[in-house]
Amino acid sequence: MAETPKIRVPKTAKKGEVIEIKTLMPHIMESGQRKDKDGKAIPRKIINKFTAEFNGKPVFSANLEPAIAANPYMQFFAKVDASGTFKFTWTDDDGTVTSTEQKIDVA
Amino acid sequence: MRAAILSTGTLAVMAIAVGAFLVAAPTSAGAQAKKAAPLELNGDAAARPWKRYDKWPKRDESKWSTLDAVKSPPAPKDPQKITGPITGDAAKGEKLVADRGRGGSCLACHVMGPAGGANLPGNVGPDLSEIGSAGREDEWLFNYIYDARVYNQDTVMPPWGSHGVFTDAEIRDMVAFLKTLKSPAKFKTVLDDPNKRPAPVEKRENLDSLENPGMWAVDKAKALWTKSMASGKSCNTCHNKPETQFKTWAASMPKWEPRLNKVLGVEEFVTRHAAATTGAKWLMETDENRDMSIYLHFLANGAPIDVDTKSAPAKAAIKRGEALASRKIGELNFACTDCHGKAANHWIRGQWLGELKGQYDHFPTWRTSLLAVWDIRQRFQWCQVNIRANELPPDAKEYGDIELYLAAQNEGLKVSVPGIRH
Amino acid sequence: MRELSRRAALALGAGSAAITIVGWGEGAFATPKAAADDIAKFTGGKAAEQGKITIELPEIAENGNTVPLSIAVDAPMTDADHVTELLVVAEGNPNPGVAMFHFSPMSGKAEAATRIRLATTQNIVAVAKTSTGKFYTAQKLVKVTIGGCGG
Repeated sequence: MAETPKIRVPKTAKKGEVIEIKTLMPHIMESGQRKDKDGKAIPRKIINKFTAEFNGKPVFSANLEPAIAANPYMQFFAKVDASGTFKFTWTDDDGTVTSTEQKIDVA
Repeated sequence: MRAAILSTGTLAVMAIAVGAFLVAAPTSAGAQAKKAAPLELNGDAAARPWKRYDKWPKRDESKWSTLDAVKSPPAPKDPQKITGPITGDAAKGEKLVADRGRGGSCLACHVMGPAGGANLPGNVGPDLSEIGSAGREDEWLFNYIYDARVYNQDTVMPPWGSHGVFTDAEIRDMVAFLKTLKSPAKFKTVLDDPNKRPAPVEKRENLDSLENPGMWAVDKAKALWTKSMASGKSCNTCHNKPETQFKTWAASMPKWEPRLNKVLGVEEFVTRHAAATTGAKWLMETDENRDMSIYLHFLANGAPIDVDTKSAPAKAAIKRGEALASRKIGELNFACTDCHGKAANHWIRGQWLGELKGQYDHFPTWRTSLLAVWDIRQRFQWCQVNIRANELPPDAKEYGDIELYLAAQNEGLKVSVPGIRH
Repeated sequence: MRELSRRAALALGAGSAAITIVGWGEGAFATPKAAADDIAKFTGGKAAEQGKITIELPEIAENGNTVPLSIAVDAPMTDADHVTELLVVAEGNPNPGVAMFHFSPMSGKAEAATRIRLATTQNIVAVAKTSTGKFYTAQKLVKVTIGGCGG
């Protein structure tokens, strides 16, 4: 069983509240700087983009470089005005997109 | 009484093991039958021959003492006589004392004026920045580096000359450099001064899955727990409520196992018990084994470490473990108790040396510098390779003795696994 | 005024050791100039004002493999006035780029935290761009240690 992304989003919030969100994505973030046993560079393979949307609108995103540590961690904020769904996506250098969603009740 | 499905082989073992190590049957409502956990295994609990990890230093240290053999030459009785002043290349000496490729070297433990740019030197040994005006004879300086045991039998200094880490000429260069040290080191920042650097405090929330990638092992182990193995059984077949059944088990390990005549830690127990009951092949230091060890410790989080220290075999094992932990091993001639006893609460370069107490409750631990989970046996192995001694396979009985000795020093500390460390 | 990089003296020392920092191999290290070039591209050559940015980094990182970084920009985050982008560069890594964070008024706060890799002791520099076209900058030094005897 492979590791799955970890998300922390509050289950409820007040209208207009600014909430904190934490995410952790399992990924080796191969920098391209390491060399294998024969001295050949191990090719770069990282998550290069992270996005967070709320009800389809962009809240926060990041372009990541190899200097982001393995198992990229992103912590940020979002202002919520209504109930809805957060969608988080991670894009790998090879084009694979991992995404996960989380609902929140806003009163 | 729980009905247990046991093979004839297991029943035979149980019949033999009268008065043997008993483990409480999984706790559930009602009276419990005490029976010995099946442990029979075809072969060894770890890979044979044990191959050192690829990324670890490849030096072969077979000429030096290890935890299973005393081989290093004894300390010289007397210092060498040096006639006349020592001449050497002080500039070369300055580079040598800072050379990490030589097991330290000196800056790991000493502040030495401008050497190494005074960049995070250690403070296990005295500050040598003014040794050049301390009135020390050249002969004394040479012999102290060559083999400090001739002046101090309790020293933790490696015998740099006796063990051939440095040549005589190199030691003369280092002496020449020491003779130039006549003023205090100038640190670029206050943090570089090991005597002013505050002791590190581990503040990370190790059980927060957003903080500690090691927590993924718990997820993986939960899935593995219910997976049917070669015999058609899973752990869950017999242990169907692990959250309530293992609340203190890991905190009582490691334990003397009379059927094997050794101390058994959680990882070796997992290998043997899983093989005996489900046919699973989870050798020590494999991913499955580590995940299971993390999970079994995780289930006992918050429980105080409480190992048997009173029975006769436990007492004997702890005595052996203490002796092993005090044995000088490797080219660098260190004992566990040198760094984690005599030198504890000091810096070696940028790393803090902890006491034995506090070095067990968080294993297995996620290591941020390596992006991997290490169990306690792998930690033992690495310590040895690092001080230039050959490591033993993870199931070595010596490691069991040391682990029980270490657990005994950690009695009462609460299990908190997976840990998160450097 | 930016501190001078200490890369030169320290990188020479680091190169002679048998370090295994998992994220990096041994390679040419960036210079403050490469980082400055990235910043100039971001600002279009416009000057960035010191201030408004708080960078949280440990003073000493016990290893360079995962160093917690937190950045907060003091900004109203209204439609009229909010941080749009935040560039982070490292002056002493093989390549200076670390991340570019994108914010909107829906972010609520122009704050982000992550974990970064540092090849050696160095300055981390952050540059924020606002919707009104202004640029702010701040930097922080992190000392990266390597273990006592390599462990």
